[in-house]
Amino acid sequence: MMPRDIGILGYGETRHVKRTERTQFSFFAEAGRKALESAGLDKSDIDGIAVSSFFLAPDNAVTLCEQFGLSVSWAWQFTAGSAGPVAGVIDALHAIDTGRANVVLCLAGDVYSVARHYRLMENFNHSLYNYAAPHGFGGPNGLFGIIQRKYMETYGLERAQLGRIAVAQRQCAMHNENAVFRVPLTLEEYLDARIIADPIRLYDCVLPCAGADAVVLGALDRIDAPKRVRVLSGHERHNHLPEEPCPLSGGWETFRDRMWNEASFGPRDMHFVQAYDDYPIMVAIQLEDLGFCEKGEAGPFLDAHDLTWRGDLPLDTNGGQLSAGQAGAGGGLMSVVEATRQLRREAGGRQVAGCERGVVAGYGMVGYGHGLSASAVVVERGG
Amino acid sequence: MADDARYPRPLVDADNRAMLEAWREGRLVLQRCAECGRVASYPRPLCPHCWSERLGFEAASGRGRIVAWSLVHRPNHESFFAEAPIVLAEIALPEGTNVIARVVAEPESVRSGRPVEIVSEPERYPLPTFRLAGEGEG
Ligand SMILES: [Zn+2]
Repeated sequence: MMPRDIGILGYGETRHVKRTERTQFSFFAEAGRKALESAGLDKSDIDGIAVSSFFLAPDNAVTLCEQFGLSVSWAWQFTAGSAGPVAGVIDALHAIDTGRANVVLCLAGDVYSVARHYRLMENFNHSLYNYAAPHGFGGPNGLFGIIQRKYMETYGLERAQLGRIAVAQRQCAMHNENAVFRVPLTLEEYLDARIIADPIRLYDCVLPCAGADAVVLGALDRIDAPKRVRVLSGHERHNHLPEEPCPLSGGWETFRDRMWNEASFGPRDMHFVQAYDDYPIMVAIQLEDLGFCEKGEAGPFLDAHDLTWRGDLPLDTNGGQLSAGQAGAGGGLMSVVEATRQLRREAGGRQVAGCERGVVAGYGMVGYGHGLSASAVVVERGG
Repeated sequence: MADDARYPRPLVDADNRAMLEAWREGRLVLQRCAECGRVASYPRPLCPHCWSERLGFEAASGRGRIVAWSLVHRPNHESFFAEAPIVLAEIALPEGTNVIARVVAEPESVRSGRPVEIVSEPERYPLPTFRLAGEGEG
């Protein structure tokens, strides 16, 4: 169970940019300063750190403290790709609950780019290096192309149904000044886009970019009630379905009943979904695994809902990674930042009216065929 | 035609040496557990099903069936660019495991469910690679 008197006190994020001269430390510094200001706390309040980044090496959570002049009693560093930052929030809340720290700064991000993406994927882990890269695998695009085709042929999903995700999220991104893509996207443009790894096309893919996200966690009574965001429940799962290279589920289904029970809410009570959108097909699978619809029903479910911030199922209201860009591991924390912004009613032109609670999911660590890690939290407006 | 010597190659280690050495002779071998009888998708230091260390390699039929596939227009590594698009597939092997592998074929001919067989060109391909086989031979 999650502690109910501890939660998210503030958030910060940098603009996502395709090219930069700035250092990784600089992006973390900006996101961290903004999060601290949003929480109304002082640098001296921070005594715990959780950091998620693919390119931080040779640095780490502790040397980051040296860079930032922080002395902490708890330091955490991620695993699990972009399921990691959400898991880090869960771990940090437990660390605070058990007295390991009082205020934890969670940071995630990378100075990411298309070129760095290909280099990272070539040697992401042993199984990909040894048994996928020598086949000319195309990185995750090739692997998720297999999963998407398998799903489409198994359940009759059509690309136009997945396109509803990309198009709706682009409408949200037009109200997100930090997003890399802010021009309208039509369903026709989605359907006719350049083929990357058929059936995956250009607008099924995220654009690697540079940026960072941050949240500050601590006792909720440190800030005014309307600014508090409580984490009602949260879980993670790794290597679900061992030895199955291309499953049509992502692992969320292993903990979803427990997560909803602990939150005392269900999917229909959610006012938004901040899903992990490395590909629209994984958003579809995620909605099923989280219990929004039955397995195989994602296509009709997507058709039946308005996925924009004004709709009946607001999805990735910052534009998601598909439109805002993927700042490496920042993609896993960007959704927590957006959920916090929405619940504090600070989302500007894309504000989900009257939202009280939502679900945030992470996913990542692509191994031999698919993402090995899934995570999710249910969050609620404080008070 | 790309310079095939520049394809990325698997690192040989104590766990996968038998599989990679067999492939250098054009043979597909799979790691099977003597304890539970199951096959691993790629070589391990222990059986991923039951954790037994009683592992051995055995000759596979070299046949399989495409479960699903993608057509990779942008391979990860530049050594494949001249040959793109590349057919990447999940292949079900009758020995009881599914693997990810390249299928050398005209993309128009590739369908999920089609039988495939090993291409015995280990001097060219760094890992066991497949091609389409006739119906009934899978
Ligand atoms: Zn075994």
